[in-house]
Amino acid sequence: MRSLAIAAVNLRRFARQRANLFFVLVLPLLIVAMLGLVFGATDVDLGVVQRSGGPLAEQLSDDLGATEDLAVVRYEDESALERAVQRGRVEAGLVVPDDYTAVLEAGGTATVRWIARPGTASIQLRQAVEAAVARQGTVLRAARFVAAEQGGDVESRLAAAATVAAAVPGVDVEVRPADETVAAGDLGQFDLGAATQLVLFVFLTSLFGAPTLIEVRRLGLSRRMLSTPTRHLQVLLGESLGRLAIALVQAAIIVVGSALLFGVAWGSPPAAAAIVACFALVGASFAMLLGSALSSDQQAGALALVLGLGLAALGGSMVPLEVFPDRVRTIAHVTPHAWANDAFAEVLRHGGGLVDVLAPLAVLLAYAAVVFSLAAWFFRRAVTG
Amino acid sequence: MSAAPVLVCTGLVKRFGDLVAVDGVGFEISPGETYGLLGPNGAGKTTTISMVCGLLERDDGDVVVAGRPLTTTSVEAKAAIGYVPQEIAVYPDLTGRENLRFFSRLYGMAPAAATERIGEALEVVGLADRADDLAGEYSGGMKRRLNIAIGLLHRPRLLVLDEPTVGVDPQSRNAILEGVEALAGGGIAVLYTTHYMEEAERLCDRIGIIDAGVIRAEGTRRELVALVGERDRVRLAGSGDLASVATACGALPGVEAASVRDGAVDLIVEGARGLLPELLRVAAESGGLVDGVDVHEPDLESVFLHLTGKALRD
Repeated sequence: MRSLAIAAVNLRRFARQRANLFFVLVLPLLIVAMLGLVFGATDVDLGVVQRSGGPLAEQLSDDLGATEDLAVVRYEDESALERAVQRGRVEAGLVVPDDYTAVLEAGGTATVRWIARPGTASIQLRQAVEAAVARQGTVLRAARFVAAEQGGDVESRLAAAATVAAAVPGVDVEVRPADETVAAGDLGQFDLGAATQLVLFVFLTSLFGAPTLIEVRRLGLSRRMLSTPTRHLQVLLGESLGRLAIALVQAAIIVVGSALLFGVAWGSPPAAAAIVACFALVGASFAMLLGSALSSDQQAGALALVLGLGLAALGGSMVPLEVFPDRVRTIAHVTPHAWANDAFAEVLRHGGGLVDVLAPLAVLLAYAAVVFSLAAWFFRRAVTG
Repeated sequence: MSAAPVLVCTGLVKRFGDLVAVDGVGFEISPGETYGLLGPNGAGKTTTISMVCGLLERDDGDVVVAGRPLTTTSVEAKAAIGYVPQEIAVYPDLTGRENLRFFSRLYGMAPAAATERIGEALEVVGLADRADDLAGEYSGGMKRRLNIAIGLLHRPRLLVLDEPTVGVDPQSRNAILEGVEALAGGGIAVLYTTHYMEEAERLCDRIGIIDAGVIRAEGTRRELVALVGERDRVRLAGSGDLASVATACGALPGVEAASVRDGAVDLIVEGARGLLPELLRVAAESGGLVDGVDVHEPDLESVFLHLTGKALRD
């Protein structure tokens, strides 16, 4: 109860300072936006002008609209589409001529116009359009062949060819990663990056509980708390619980916000929550250690920054652990970050659940226990001499 | 039969490296009694109090509060203590009432009882009308009074006040002293440290004179003053080389102690009236220009000078 009272008073003080709202709400939302822009799964817009091109033109538009990660935006005329591309409202544009179906059914070659700004997105979009056109062309050639061999018009043979094409199994290409660590399944290439960034942020923001503890010591409040029937462990636990709650709120905003707004993948919710909670415990324990061992809040703030970024770099939150040589990767596991990143990798790459990450979670909890014990020793020494 | 003492401490010792900050300090305080530790800054008052409140590991000695042995880890004995530290240990960004509510939880008080006691404590220290203002917006004196209110909150059997009037305006100081007098009248045992002789004389039933970590003498004001005997305290105010004046006067027969404080030379003298011409002559010869002479009946300042050879606020 006494620890909860200390945690509650910390939270009240934190909430009372308007500048702190930036750290709890605005900063996580900025991180959400950053993660969403960098790691999110948003569709790329393709503008299409297709007014009266006939069924085949309609079919091409529908096919493009069904392409994953691509959204079709209709425009009335070519000039409107050009403006949209120039102003960046869509990444690229496709103009389907009015005689598209008629020309193709007559055995001719229809020409579509491609409007794009230079860039990676437009190249990817062009590949998607070429693939859709190729799919349509295959069916069209089959229909022309049947019409030529068995008679009948191309339009009626097209329907039969489309039905047959849908029933013919395609060729599945199974991709097996040469290295277990390579992304598999529908994991985006950057989805693990979002998790490693979260690990970096949670630890860094937790560490900034250290100057707060130093301030409480400097005001003589820690000593005064110890003059009441409150043990020094209860005081330290209360101080760390307040910090832990703040870190968890920030992490929750980031995870839920980025998942809902940008489709960032976080894997199994219980597993992700457990990883964040255990790692935030480690962060809070580190904050208590700095806050107990140091006596200057400026010193603590500077060291928090160095530790927060340094351990994150070594622990795989800036560069994936896989790129490190084996020996460095082993050394990296001195940091709690490496264990948290391992746990997220298990959840995100292999679809792991809570049970699958018990081992790294146990390491993180052990880490928190050891660091907190050390913090308690320093705290007692600092306050009771 | 007198009531059992609320505080018994014996043989307290605290060392910081080679420095012995407290060396064998011991005293007792009974219910309703105010005990003063009088000594200059650095005498060991705060170190003693820190050991009495279980805030500092001691190297030797025992502390028993309300019949329970006290260490830095014993929570039961601490429940009987109300500690008012020398620094203003309150949250500046919480209101006075919120500060009291917080500490009521640490003392394990039930919410309803806490609400009642918070109101009473605010009344006692005269902060009821400012209870919902942020403590950071209080004047220095109001912060001091809030500091004291926290110590009173749980009706402690022993109230420990460490220099509670330092940096306080005269009005707040008087309010604090009146409050302490009323508390002792209500049966609380009070341990009060100060380097202000007037406070010790006004408040304390018994006084321990502490210097360099050792209690030099202990007793009521009358008992302590009796140690000085028929000696008077002579104060030579003036300018010039006052240190030489003190040295020269201190060497005269009948002068027991001499020190310089606040632009004057303080002397403990046997038979002051007879010796006064000689003192003025020696002062003039030593380079001092005396422009005022006061002869005081013995007081605690005289006692301290007599016992330690230096003034309380050297």
